Amino acid sequence: MSDPAHRPSRPWRPWVPWVPWVALAIVVGVALGLGASRGGTAPTPTQRADAIDAVIRCPSCEGISVADSSASTAVAIRGAVAARVRAGESDAQIYAFLVSRYGPGILLRPPVHGWTEWVWVVPPAALAMAAAGLAVVLLRRRRRRRRRPVPVSAEDRALVERALWERSRHLGQPDAMRVR
Amino acid sequence: MTSALVDGTSPGAEVHRRHTAKWVAGVALVVGAALVALLATRPPQTATEVDTPLVGQTAPAIGGSTLGGGSFDLAALRGRWVVVNFFASWCPPCQQEQPDLVAFAYAHRTPGDAVLVGVVFDDSDSTARAFMRSTGASWPAVFDPGGQIALDYGVRGPPETFLVSPDGIVVAHFDGPMTEASLDYWLARAKGTG
Repeated sequence: MSDPAHRPSRPWRPWVPWVPWVALAIVVGVALGLGASRGGTAPTPTQRADAIDAVIRCPSCEGISVADSSASTAVAIRGAVAARVRAGESDAQIYAFLVSRYGPGILLRPPVHGWTEWVWVVPPAALAMAAAGLAVVLLRRRRRRRRRPVPVSAEDRALVERALWERSRHLGQPDAMRVR
Repeated sequence: MTSALVDGTSPGAEVHRRHTAKWVAGVALVVGAALVALLATRPPQTATEVDTPLVGQTAPAIGGSTLGGGSFDLAALRGRWVVVNFFASWCPPCQQEQPDLVAFAYAHRTPGDAVLVGVVFDDSDSTARAFMRSTGASWPAVFDPGGQIALDYGVRGPPETFLVSPDGIVVAHFDGPMTEASLDYWLARAKGTG
């Protein structure tokens, strides 16, 4: 059975506190890399039509996409989307056609322009600012702790010196340690 | 022996409870009767003008075979006011507006006057034909298999009606059952005489 007092003291390694952060950075980097590489292949016309159908609101239903509805209007829109994809129209052209008929409410995802841009920009920006602020606060606190040592009273100092002296006497070692 | 005595409650409390029950039943009866009267005397639901992107734009093409066996082309009606009505035999508001549409078509039967055109919405040609015949409708009704015409007009569900000017521009879009009076009002207003 090993005595904790006999455990050899390890030299201080300055890089140890950074290990979790480096590991986190590697995980995030790998995840982003995988995500980016998956979008590399061009979607088939069917995949494109399915993706468009998923964000078009069924005009005669309540809050579901044309992809999820069997209503006649949804069926007609799915057919029109498939035909326009086959004809080589871009996603933006297909959305524009449907908006020209039903209005912007036909899109389940609101278009990103004007004020609606802020809906998409503000949350990530606020999150990034909050993370940066937290990092700054934590770093400052850490530096302050390092810079300012905790004041030790004479009573505490005497208490620790006595404990060290008793420990060294118990172990049969010379009294080499002193509280600084 | 009364039930109050059996229950262990006083006769006074029993009488009070019966009075309360009578009052509650009376109030519920009055509220129910008022609700029934309100629903029975409420004016029928009418169409509302809706602001859609198509208003002010060129009317999408309407063409194809009619329920009567002929063919129809909206472009051939340039120079006349056209009322385009999307309908289905299974839709109660369509059944509600049909007599008014018949009256409107009859009132505007003179050559060169406004013309009514029906577009069948999600209905079989046989039931739509039977519906038109049974209501005395004589205007052309275009069959729309696949709902392409409805999609081009941004129709969500019948009945929906569009007013098209003589130069082929959509000037108004209505959602719900039309009346003869409202059709005449909007037509006169579009002509600038209303």
